[in-house]
Amino acid sequence: MAKKCPDYIQDLNDYLDGGMNPELCAEIESHIGECENCRIMIDSLRQTVTLCRDGSEEPLPEALDKRLSGLLRDRWKKKFGKQRGQDC
Amino acid sequence: MDEKQLVALARSGDFDAFARLIEANKQKMYGLVRRLAGNEQDAEDIMQESFLKAIDKIDQFRGEAAFGTWLSSIALNEARALYSKKRQSDLKPIEEYLPGSGSHGDDHQDSLRLFDWQYPHKMMESAELKSAVDEAIAELPYMYREAFLLRYIEELPVREVAELTNQSVASAKSRILRARLALRDRLSQVFEDRYGKKVS
Ligand SMILES: [Zn+2]
Repeated sequence: MAKKCPDYIQDLNDYLDGGMNPELCAEIESHIGECENCRIMIDSLRQTVTLCRDGSEEPLPEALDKRLSGLLRDRWKKKFGKQRGQDC
Repeated sequence: MDEKQLVALARSGDFDAFARLIEANKQKMYGLVRRLAGNEQDAEDIMQESFLKAIDKIDQFRGEAAFGTWLSSIALNEARALYSKKRQSDLKPIEEYLPGSGSHGDDHQDSLRLFDWQYPHKMMESAELKSAVDEAIAELPYMYREAFLLRYIEELPVREVAELTNQSVASAKSRILRARLALRDRLSQVFEDRYGKKVS
């Protein structure tokens, strides 16, 4: 029985990210040669990940960075007591 | 001084060593946390709680993993704890992302076509595109967002995503695919609206 689009969709990530057995890979390739929806699906799924990776990383806000440093120092003192090498 | 030495010093109470470890990892960690959180306020809370937990647990860290990986796993636990309290909707089943497959498998529905993206960068300015992408990620229910980000932004293999999220490999795999399909769907709507306006 011939496979239909929904039979392929479960395997699309393996197809896109690699690690699929060559037989199934060839089968999918032959299917997208004939099926416009699956061709679009694969192309846009690939672009989805590219677009998510493109977004530049948000920098750590300076105010948060400062607040965290202070917080860390306080908690550390609570846990370990006065730091060695300090106040001597 | 390498990381192992810094960890040993930190475990014996040397704050400067700990601060250096944090310094080396905080930017990357914020990058992950900011996207996991979906908004800045939650991201700040998660960062804060994770750093404090890292101090509380530093004695238990034996350096089996890199310090950054250990920090990330603490942040993931914090984020999960925060979002497990919030009601999250689920995503639709995988097959329903194909047009016409939601109903009876009716062949007449095959006339439904997916929208062809072509080149989003040509149709939208990059700032607009970026905010559309960020929004789409933030809209994902937490467990899907987490799986997707670990797989594609942190670039971890599926097996490690499964470990970090306490899921079987099969379940992690399914979450990653559903997240990817849902993001694709959301972005497709945005592009269809946007392209339509440009063309007319
Ligand atoms: Zn198809």
